[in-house]
Amino acid sequence: MKKIVLTLLIFVVSLIAKEADDIIKKLDENMRGQNISIIISMKIVSLGHERMMKIQSYSEGTKKSFTKILYPPKDKGITFLSLNNQMWQYVPRIERIIKIPPSMMLQNWMGSDITNDDMVKQSSIVEDYDAKIINKEKNLVTIELTPKEDAAVVWGKIVTIIDLETYTSKKDIFYDEDDKEVRFFIYDKVKKFGKYYIPTLWRIESADRKDRYTEILLEDVKYDTEISQEYFKKSALKRFSR
Amino acid sequence: MFSLAFKNIVFYKGRSVATFLLTFISSILLIVYVSMMDGSHKSMLENALKIYTGAIEIYKKGYRDIGGNEYLLKDVETINKKLSHINGIETYTSRYETYALLSSKEYSTASMIAAIEPDKEAKLSSIKKALTQGVFLNTNSKNCFYMGEGLVKKLNIKLGDEVAFVGTASDDSFAANLFKLCGTFKTGSFEFDSTTAFVSKNYFDELMYAQNKASYISIKVNDLKNVDTINNQINSVLNDNSLESLTWKTLMKTMVEAMEVDSIFGYISLALFLIVIFFVIMIYGFVNISSRIKEFGVLESIGLSKINIFKLLFYEILILTSLAILVAMPLASYICYYYSINPIIIDGISDMYKEYGIVSDEIPFAFEPLRIFYNVLIIYLLNFLSILYPYYYIHTFTPLEASKHV
Repeated sequence: MKKIVLTLLIFVVSLIAKEADDIIKKLDENMRGQNISIIISMKIVSLGHERMMKIQSYSEGTKKSFTKILYPPKDKGITFLSLNNQMWQYVPRIERIIKIPPSMMLQNWMGSDITNDDMVKQSSIVEDYDAKIINKEKNLVTIELTPKEDAAVVWGKIVTIIDLETYTSKKDIFYDEDDKEVRFFIYDKVKKFGKYYIPTLWRIESADRKDRYTEILLEDVKYDTEISQEYFKKSALKRFSR
Repeated sequence: MFSLAFKNIVFYKGRSVATFLLTFISSILLIVYVSMMDGSHKSMLENALKIYTGAIEIYKKGYRDIGGNEYLLKDVETINKKLSHINGIETYTSRYETYALLSSKEYSTASMIAAIEPDKEAKLSSIKKALTQGVFLNTNSKNCFYMGEGLVKKLNIKLGDEVAFVGTASDDSFAANLFKLCGTFKTGSFEFDSTTAFVSKNYFDELMYAQNKASYISIKVNDLKNVDTINNQINSVLNDNSLESLTWKTLMKTMVEAMEVDSIFGYISLALFLIVIFFVIMIYGFVNISSRIKEFGVLESIGLSKINIFKLLFYEILILTSLAILVAMPLASYICYYYSINPIIIDGISDMYKEYGIVSDEIPFAFEPLRIFYNVLIIYLLNFLSILYPYYYIHTFTPLEASKHV
């Protein structure tokens, strides 16, 4: 009898874990498709004033992405390439390709509230974290993502609230190793592009800096189009900068 | 009573000599050891303050805990004007610090870039003296880096080579430029030398949109002893709740705590030694008293009160302690004074320090008469305590019992 109860218990636990994994995988598929091309408007509010940026981004799978600054004119042509979790930057003003070292991965990207690590490791919620459902209410499920033992990640844990109708996140809360809230990603205005759903308005806030935030608006989203492989070579940094 | 005590000291020579010698040794040891400990701590502090940290630094509240461009000083000129009226300040300078990416042709690394006013900085810190190759910066230096040798090694560059700088300007916008390596330095602090590059503030302010802004203002005072008084004056002159003026005691909290821990361990080991001495003195006194029970019984029988017996013991220890301290104090004071002027230099460490040029290799003693006086009081107190148990022992006998004691 005991064996049956134990087997049933293990079966139920593995089912719940599988359900959490499946939700996270579906969420990740929605966020990136097979490939995705986006034009992003970024509003950075800090020091009592606003800065606007416009960015063109191409990404394919979890390992390749290319980003180019389109606006403001001062920064136009700065390009970023992420390949296999490594990151390079090209700055036209000094005509240099610079590899971003691991020690800089937590630095803010272009003065915004997202980090270099966010640009490179967007895939890690599937590969580097164990998912566990901690709450379920109607269509909303709260999943806690804790780092796998051997994962090289910067967060102590991530709690994400997911809408099961669209498999998109409504809010991500990032915690440090001391279980203290560090920042929040708040998502809104979910739109459907082909078979994929994606929130088109993101707001990023720091837990300790209420007076600054970054808003990201996804303007031109194209899934599963043909993106030239030339974008994912180091030579692209300079070539597509112009 | 005093002359009786003196006669007893002369009569019981063994006990008197032992008490004198033990008091003499413990006095010398306590005074010299405390002087050496205080002197080495002062030397550590002065060395640390020489390198980069100011005796006083002015920040916008939040800069040290949170950091970032929100917490920069916004009107440096006004603060400088206010500081110019305060007595006791030798010099002051503003610094703009930011973390940025430095990249040579081969390597990239995160680094602390410190924009300084070179002329003022040369008077305030020893950064200029730490020069090992090339030249130090001047007010008109353009895109020139004065870089720690450890950082130069990380980037694998040599004098004249180009280094790309990529960072965030003071308005949070993107900033990038090419710099040349103009000079290198070595302070002896591994972390500082391997992460820091200096640049002229005049030039950097344009690149970072940081005119009239600074991370903080660093202040050198004429005499470190007056640092708290000067800091109070600064706070009162600034009269701005969004600013904080902090002394080295807060700025170098880790070092201050390390020195306090070191002092505690020093005092604990010294206390153990003094306790041993205390018990030896007490045992000698007790053995002496035990052999004099009959004498005390007779004295009490002819009318000497208990309080007078206590006075007798007290005078005996007072005379012996005073004699020992009369010899020990001048000798210990001379040792402290001599080594405060001629500090100890440890061979081996000396050569290593000389390589860095700016960190002193000397371990001076501190010569502070008041401190010596306090240490003498400790010795007196311990010796006075040592008569309490022997007195209690006498107290347990009635005059009759005592006069029959063998």
